[in-house]
Amino acid sequence: MNAIEIRNLTKTFGEKRAVDGLNMTVPQGAIYGFIGENGSGKSTTEKCLCGLLPPSGGEIRLFGKDYREEEVRAHIGVLIESPGCFPNYSVWNNMKLQAANLGLGHADEEIRRVLHLVRMDGAAGNKFKNCSLGMKQRIGIAFALLGSPRLLVLDEPINGLDADGMRIMREVLTELSGKGCTVLISSHILGELEKIATHYGIIRGGKMLKEMTAEQLNADCPTYVALKTDEIEKTRDILQRTYGRADIDEQTGEIRVYGAYAEEVAKYLFGNFGIAVSEIRTAKISLEEYYINLMQEGRK
Amino acid sequence: MENANTLLFEKPSFFQRLKGMLGVDFYRLFHTPLFYIFLGIAAVIPALVSMGGGEEGSLYTTAWQIIAAESPLYVIRDMGDYANMNMVFIFGGIMVSIFIGHDYTSGYVKQLFTTHAKKEDYMLSKTLVSAFSMVCMCVTYFLGGTVSGLFSGLSLSVNAGSLICAIFGKMLMSLGWASLYTFINILFRRKFGISIALCFVLGTGIPVIGAAALVGNSAALNIFLYGSSVQACLSSGVLSVLVCLACSCAWAAFYNAFGAFLLYHRDVY
Repeated sequence: MNAIEIRNLTKTFGEKRAVDGLNMTVPQGAIYGFIGENGSGKSTTEKCLCGLLPPSGGEIRLFGKDYREEEVRAHIGVLIESPGCFPNYSVWNNMKLQAANLGLGHADEEIRRVLHLVRMDGAAGNKFKNCSLGMKQRIGIAFALLGSPRLLVLDEPINGLDADGMRIMREVLTELSGKGCTVLISSHILGELEKIATHYGIIRGGKMLKEMTAEQLNADCPTYVALKTDEIEKTRDILQRTYGRADIDEQTGEIRVYGAYAEEVAKYLFGNFGIAVSEIRTAKISLEEYYINLMQEGRK
Repeated sequence: MENANTLLFEKPSFFQRLKGMLGVDFYRLFHTPLFYIFLGIAAVIPALVSMGGGEEGSLYTTAWQIIAAESPLYVIRDMGDYANMNMVFIFGGIMVSIFIGHDYTSGYVKQLFTTHAKKEDYMLSKTLVSAFSMVCMCVTYFLGGTVSGLFSGLSLSVNAGSLICAIFGKMLMSLGWASLYTFINILFRRKFGISIALCFVLGTGIPVIGAAALVGNSAALNIFLYGSSVQACLSSGVLSVLVCLACSCAWAAFYNAFGAFLLYHRDVY
């Protein structure tokens, strides 16, 4: 049984189809990176999933049950955009109210636990309106963690977090995933997502473009040799003929050669053509590059 | 990883859900200055109205007309007929609009509906808390009205039973009014300025007063909230209280059901 199963989900706003027949499968315990351009339908999908928007069509099942059933809803932690807190109340009081809505016993203990998890113990007495953006995001995560949910839905949770905040977030989510909690996380900071995600879903124009595991992504992201020379065009042509695929990275001015070893390439160029390589390194296509390439291919 | 098939979810009961939500709403009510400001307004207004006659003398012949009209009058002849405890339903509408409006502007409602909270629970909880706040306003209005009546030198003679029935009837009507205001607020969500304006228009009873101008002083108007509120007057008996109770409960059930339907079928915020 999967934590989330979405079949043919559609959501329209007037004439606009924000989500268009989307299918999604998130296994239990996964950290599912939900990626897409602005306006691709990520947040709309998440809002439908969380009961904030009624879908126009399709089916959403959480842990095998209809997403509207309250016994399932009681086990979902959500952070969509920003936490829904009363600005004039303290962080502690806001959390007490949420704990009451969740019907949590030992609320004080639970609030202390989640605030400690996100290292916000010291901010409990602060008025919510006086918290910084990063603090509000951490508090939002603490909100979502109240009551140890089985499913976490986090929409752009790392926006506004500092380096330490991002590290804490990674640690918390990895630990929760290890305990069987499923995490659906959308973010544009793909470098951070790549460090923790076990599964990915790439959405475009309201449709699921691709779903894959981290292992499949790894296999789809080949290693390459990046090098710099004075004769870029000539070197590229030589390497293309020899290795089959060589591109010039316009931004860095590097030549990328796929399916080759750095030392071998450098020796080959200097030994056969007298081309000196000024810089050479081995690298791997990142999630960000993979995603950008996929989007560009989609546009073509 | 835990086996999915062994995952057991406990279904929170209606009372568990409602208890949590009522706890939050009452906490908010007692911790918002707005509530106390409106209690104060409700206490001061009868004093201001009782002195409002100016040189022509008081609007009233007895002190208790500040609380309720002598007889069930749907057609307004002068301010004295109009200005009584029914005004609580005007202030109440404004207070409820601001109170529920904050749910939307703060994002609380978004946070709430991602939990196991059901839409009908939300309607019920808001209605009950809003009704409670209006009942409290009825009490302060009564206290303010009594004190100003004592100082105004007006006659204090009254049928005590009828007076109690009138006050009790108006308190019961708070439930119906609160459900109407809650409904209006979930209709306009974060645009609570519109909610305030609409609550004000309906709270003043203008539609019923307008209808009364056409059909006259007819008990048929009792089926409306304002009509029933008028029924709670200084000639009231137990039957009037029952009319108020039936009308208030019927409208509360209708607005709660309609409001929950609306919440289920459109975007939460």
